[in-house]
Amino acid sequence: MLVTWKYRLRDTFIQRLDPRTRLIFLFSIIFALTIPEIWDLRIILPIFAISLTLYFMARIEWKDVKRGWAFILVFVIFIVGINGVLSGRGGPSSVTNIESPILFYVPVLDWFGWMVPITVSKLWFALNQIIRMLTMAILAIPIPYTMDPNIYGTAFKRMGASDNVSFTMDLAFRFLPTFARDFTITVDAQRARGYEMESLKGGLVERIRRLSPLIIPVVMQSTVTGEEVIDAMDLRAFGTSKRTWIKTLTYAPRDYFMLGLGAAIFISCCVLKWGFGIGGFFVPDFFTNLFV
Amino acid sequence: MSDFPLVVENLSFKYRTRPELAVENVSFELRQGELLLIAGSSGCGKTTLARCINGLIPRSYRGERKGKVLLQGRDVAEMEIAEMSQVVGTLLQDPERQIVASNVFNEIAFGPENLGLPREEIASRVEQVMKRLNIEYLHERETFNLSGGEKQKVALAGMLAMSPSILLLDEPLASLDPASAHEALAVFRSLADEGKTVILVEHRVEDAISITPDRLLYMEDGRIKYLGPIKNLPNEIDYTQVKLPAPWVVQRVKALDNAPVVSPRPEERERSEPLVVFEDVDFRYDEEYPFILQNVNLKIYPGDLIAVLGPNGAGKSTLVKHAIGLLKPTKGRVLVEGRDTRTMSVAQIARVLGYVFQSPTHMLYAPTVHEELEFGPKNLGFEPELISKSIVESLATVNMKEFEEYPPLALSFGQQKRTTIAAVLAMRSKILVMDEPTAGQDFANYTRFMEALCGTYDGGSSLLSANFDATLFITHDIDLAVTYANRVLLFGDKHVVADGAPEDVLKDVDFLTKYRVRPTSLLQLNLDLLPKTGRFLPAESLAGFA
Repeated sequence: MLVTWKYRLRDTFIQRLDPRTRLIFLFSIIFALTIPEIWDLRIILPIFAISLTLYFMARIEWKDVKRGWAFILVFVIFIVGINGVLSGRGGPSSVTNIESPILFYVPVLDWFGWMVPITVSKLWFALNQIIRMLTMAILAIPIPYTMDPNIYGTAFKRMGASDNVSFTMDLAFRFLPTFARDFTITVDAQRARGYEMESLKGGLVERIRRLSPLIIPVVMQSTVTGEEVIDAMDLRAFGTSKRTWIKTLTYAPRDYFMLGLGAAIFISCCVLKWGFGIGGFFVPDFFTNLFV
Repeated sequence: MSDFPLVVENLSFKYRTRPELAVENVSFELRQGELLLIAGSSGCGKTTLARCINGLIPRSYRGERKGKVLLQGRDVAEMEIAEMSQVVGTLLQDPERQIVASNVFNEIAFGPENLGLPREEIASRVEQVMKRLNIEYLHERETFNLSGGEKQKVALAGMLAMSPSILLLDEPLASLDPASAHEALAVFRSLADEGKTVILVEHRVEDAISITPDRLLYMEDGRIKYLGPIKNLPNEIDYTQVKLPAPWVVQRVKALDNAPVVSPRPEERERSEPLVVFEDVDFRYDEEYPFILQNVNLKIYPGDLIAVLGPNGAGKSTLVKHAIGLLKPTKGRVLVEGRDTRTMSVAQIARVLGYVFQSPTHMLYAPTVHEELEFGPKNLGFEPELISKSIVESLATVNMKEFEEYPPLALSFGQQKRTTIAAVLAMRSKILVMDEPTAGQDFANYTRFMEALCGTYDGGSSLLSANFDATLFITHDIDLAVTYANRVLLFGDKHVVADGAPEDVLKDVDFLTKYRVRPTSLLQLNLDLLPKTGRFLPAESLAGFA
């Protein structure tokens, strides 16, 4: 199945929150870490603790979410982590510029004599990067499992998006399962004609060409569906005037609390970084001492 | 003028992309509360006429329009779409594609929301409409998981929530099983009785006339061939073009003094080793889900031409997916030519079983019909000479030789369907499996198609029996089982509830009704005449016995 996540109604604090609160809170954390460029684990770790607490409060069943986690962990640890260790890029320039003891070399392109030095500072940066990414990811992971797919459109509308943009959100959720089903049927239909995905051989172009029996029918189905959906929406007067969104959203005290918390985190990060110069990248002595 | 909610005056339309007129000089008017049935074979212009009435022409489809379509005295072309949508409500052919919201409440509220009505008004309209159609229980359901019949009711509710006075229903029965189709028809009738003007575009005339439309508009080549009361119908219309009730066909054959043709009885074959065996098969997708198949036992023998009947969602498709190895049993086993499907790849099984899926758009991808037909045999590793030979033969079989170099995606639906059958024919599988072979085709086309496949010749052999050891098709259409099958499987309650010759399985009408299989006039007439005929026959052949 292409669509593995499932929204379920759970009686939790998180699900009682207004969807806008949850999206705004997520963005406050992302902006708090990225706009003032916070790389100081002393600041990141407490925020990480808040994210983790909220994650557990969402009470998502492990079996539902394990695939999502596998993807995130592979991405964060291998791609982001290894990239951090090897290149040290993707963060403040001080990672690669500051003097730092070299631990060992990785022969990336040995025959060119290009040896990549692994420094203590790169290692610390990679660790920072992983925790920083996870702080944002574990806030985002529960959203598809815990937010009613029917409410995204209304939530975006109430956050100021246009009718078109907001309803596009609803349409995406409506047609994602249809698209997944069409894809499954096409795979079945072609397999029944002896097509085997395992036998995709040859170069990249050849492989893509061999995928056309799957891609073309799905694209065609989507195009036809798209046209009929446009007709159906036209016939029901979509976009002719200002539209009423029947679902209403109201903030409760818990929402104000969370919005306040998000704003406080964002403002604190900005003030600490720009006002006091705290929060930039540095390698603590204890970490260097571990190796030297 | 405005005595008639709808007036069509000398209407002609030509699509920009096509040379010929799609609709030519059509005129008629409808009274309030009238139920008009529009019928005709595919390409006759009925969908174009529908688009002219609901304003998609000239808004979304470009071309040359002449004449007038007046809704309550005003020309459609001059009305705002918001206005028009409150006069004409349109139900499109595939409810799956016209439902735009993820849950039922939002779906029904969609139109009124777009009109910018106040929230209380929208909520009360949604409530009223759900009550009217008895679908209050669906209120919080997700639209994707509804059954076909439920989807259609929800789509209808979404349309009624805009309070239109004219309802335009474009082939609304196409995706429904017969029992759901008749429930839908009853709803359409009652809406007309409440004063709505109803236009029902449908080629399943036999089904549609069960709710006694006031008039029929029959189209051919874009023109009106007949417009008038239903009772004159048999004399005006060719019974090979639209599906009429069996007694009418018999009457007509007799009146025309056509000699009824009785095809020779298909040759009987000795029952040898079964080709496919299901042994105590249970299946479910996951432990969390309920069983879809339970205790299924079945043997397919050479010479079988099996029709699988049963309601939607009973597990018919799951059953055949086991035969082709796309699904493997949770318990029990499926043997294909004596080998357990668990030990075989789908490609290996494809040499024995060729599966034609319901919708051609799920299969077709190649730039030409020739390449489309090459795909299966190439996958199975056929020699080039055999591939060429298979393509030529299979194209001839489905009568599409002249389309070999055409792009399949540009063909008509019926031609695409035949292409998919040819694609499986070219694989030279021993067993042909078809899911709803007639879906999306009109009566004349599918009769021609089924006749080509199943029609018996002098020696009692047919194209199918000459090319395949056995054939199995899933269908809603009990008449296909009556006319073409030599064995009927009735599927219900997750397993096979009846299995045998059509004359045996289909004789108990109460039993059929229990499994939502609706007896037709052809079945009834065949049952009445069975003592004389000794076997089931098509309506035309029955003329010799009635």
